[in-house]
Amino acid sequence: MQLFIEQILNGLAMGSIYAIITLGLALVYGVMRILHVAHASVYTVGAYAGVFIFQSTGSLALAFLGSMLLCSVLGVLIERLVYFPLLKCPPYVPLIASIAVMLTIEEVLRLLAGPQIITFTAKLPFPDLDLGGIHLSSTLIAIYVITIAILLFLWWLTTRTEIGLAMRATSQDMAIAGAQGINSHYIVSLTFVIGSAIAAIGGILVGIYYNQVYPTMGAVPAYKTLALIVVGGMGSVPGAVIAALLLGLAETLLIGYLNVPFPRDALAFVAMIGVLVWRSEGLMGSK
Amino acid sequence: MSGYVITILTQIVIQAIVVCGLNVIVGYAGQISLGHAAFFGIGAYSAALLSTQAGMSFWTALPLVLLICALCGLLLGLPSLRLKHDFLAITTIGINFIVQAIFLYVPFFGGALGISAIPRISFLGEPLRGQNFLYLCLACLAVVTFICWLFTRMFAGLACFALREDESAATSMGISPVRFKLLAFMLGTMMAGLGGSLYAHYMRFVSADDFSFPLSVGFLAMLVLGGMGTLLGPIVGALILGALPELFRPLAEFRILFYALMLLLMIRFQPGGILGESSLVRKRLFPLFMGGRK
Amino acid sequence: MSDLLLEVKNLSIHFGGLHAVDGVDFDIKRGEILGLLGPNGAGKTVTFNLISGVYKPTGGEIWFDGQRIDGLPPYAIAALGLGRTFQIVKPFPTLSVLDNVLVARGVTRYPGVSSLWTSWRSRKESQAAMALLDRVGLADLAKRKAGLLPLGNLRRLEIARALAVGHKLLLLDESFSGLRHEEIAKLETLIRSIRQDGLTVLLIEHNMRVAMGLSDRIVVMEYGKKLAEGTPEEIQRDERVIEAYLGRKGEADAS
Repeated sequence: MQLFIEQILNGLAMGSIYAIITLGLALVYGVMRILHVAHASVYTVGAYAGVFIFQSTGSLALAFLGSMLLCSVLGVLIERLVYFPLLKCPPYVPLIASIAVMLTIEEVLRLLAGPQIITFTAKLPFPDLDLGGIHLSSTLIAIYVITIAILLFLWWLTTRTEIGLAMRATSQDMAIAGAQGINSHYIVSLTFVIGSAIAAIGGILVGIYYNQVYPTMGAVPAYKTLALIVVGGMGSVPGAVIAALLLGLAETLLIGYLNVPFPRDALAFVAMIGVLVWRSEGLMGSK
Repeated sequence: MSGYVITILTQIVIQAIVVCGLNVIVGYAGQISLGHAAFFGIGAYSAALLSTQAGMSFWTALPLVLLICALCGLLLGLPSLRLKHDFLAITTIGINFIVQAIFLYVPFFGGALGISAIPRISFLGEPLRGQNFLYLCLACLAVVTFICWLFTRMFAGLACFALREDESAATSMGISPVRFKLLAFMLGTMMAGLGGSLYAHYMRFVSADDFSFPLSVGFLAMLVLGGMGTLLGPIVGALILGALPELFRPLAEFRILFYALMLLLMIRFQPGGILGESSLVRKRLFPLFMGGRK
Repeated sequence: MSDLLLEVKNLSIHFGGLHAVDGVDFDIKRGEILGLLGPNGAGKTVTFNLISGVYKPTGGEIWFDGQRIDGLPPYAIAALGLGRTFQIVKPFPTLSVLDNVLVARGVTRYPGVSSLWTSWRSRKESQAAMALLDRVGLADLAKRKAGLLPLGNLRRLEIARALAVGHKLLLLDESFSGLRHEEIAKLETLIRSIRQDGLTVLLIEHNMRVAMGLSDRIVVMEYGKKLAEGTPEEIQRDERVIEAYLGRKGEADAS
């Protein structure tokens, strides 16, 4: 029973991390209708920036801030230099461009920092808890708290602020939003800033949780998060979050706990196909 | 020709065959497929199993391999009827992962060890090696290219173009998307299967690792680079992306980076590909050869 | 062979809570030109989409030449001889004008597996397609890429394609929209000659003068329902129609 609960907690942590990474992807898709596969490499850059800043300054706070700043800039650069000019092209063009960007960033990281795994030993400013015999590490608690904080922030942003309203309008229809006086390009870039900063946070959390940072750490999340935004309903942020949590739980329980002989990484896609067969617009998507 | 050059050329030609298939699906019919490596793999594993388990030769097994791939292509085509572009793209990625997982985990396919000791292809009693095998591959490429050319001249090809240009207009003019999309998928996956079969008999060993998603991306990149929807685009793309890593070999460490950057620059500035309508090559070089004629 | 080519019976469709088309009834006789009019949002294009198979009705029936067609996919309906144009033109941009028409001609000419081994550029086909282009006045642009054409020509291309497909009934959706005076006159002549050849035409049109001048009969829709039906003279005098929109528009609409 204890093991079961621990696995649930692990599953939720995994799910939360997936949610953090997928959030940026869903936000971007929402405003630009582009599958920003390269988002996963922004997340990797976040992890690297985090570990290096932490190792040179000893401050986690600086690591988070610096990393978020760097990733925001990177995200906007990708948007302005690569995606925006390709908006008029058939959709496979920005998709391939995104994959090319991801490959490029991975290689640059590999060349600069080396292919080996770098450890990220840090203690997040949260307590270790022992509840009824179940040990919750500070990292685990940090993941939950930070994820909830990010979700609350996004909820507040999109429903309570003018900018959030503009974002929702732009995601409905860029042209109409433009006609309403909203500078859609600015909103789009802002969305990249927010999404990339969140990805940076995700990268650091993963780095600390697994104590590993390496150039290709973005590869597997890249494709799983794609499946997740489909399952959640393209562009639906709440849908993506729910899908992410469910996937985290499913992966950990089915494979880690019940030992079902099934490749972990394919589970996301099988689930995706299952959901699509049932509802072709995803869990919370609109037709 | 040195053994090294023959090896590289053989790989390029096999990839060109596969990319021709992708061109039918993506270039002619306008469907997105990011899982083409899966059909390359299905062709390879089918050929491998039929020759090692059932003792069939490449030639007798070929119709069966093509049939298997066509059926799988039919299955792949079904989602394309219901799903819009982005969903379809992600589904094809998923198919790639799932097929690869099946190869890896289902014991029938040899698991992590794959299938080995695949015999060489024999022609007129002689096992084909080196240059002779390259000639066989070139012959297959010629056949495949000819089929593509024929396809564009038949109404089925025109129907696919119409579906690609504007599906709702095409359906209102009597073109059944079901019929023609599935046809395109089947044709495309059969060609990938042919390439896979050649690959299996060439490497004489196949494993799940050979058919991963990055390979699908590579195929699509070759197609885009060469020019989607053109007849010779797949060949040009396969040639360039196949030769580049070798040309960059002296740069060793920076090879993949250059490859990625090149792909990025290409797609960013010339999305139509080298042989595409508005490409620099067409505008500057072609008039030189064709005397300024349009 | 019955007199009625198209019968629309109690046709309805709703999207969510909105009844875009609600219990509409009308018939079209062979060889007549029926105008479908109404203010914006009345449900005219939705009706077209229902007839041509783009949408599936949630209620009612549609009969075409004695055959029930509601619920059939668009390509099946086209194969029966029903051609249509689109309000927002949909050419095949990278194909040439001639090829655009050749696509449309393929409907009945390459059934089944024969599409795999029949060439579409045969001399006979090209001649037939050129004849159609000639009819709409696009013959000298045959080799031009369709995507490069201006709107007026694109509308004519739409009609050429619809003619190639629709050898029984033609659905014209705002084909006069955005055209200049001379183009409008030429198009009117074309449609009259089409009817001369025995085709039946159903048209949606905002241009009142054109609609009244061309149509034998008119059906007016409002808020998804049929408001009135009759000859152009009857409609012009019908108070409900005048109230619905002619009154406001008729004075303002000079063309």
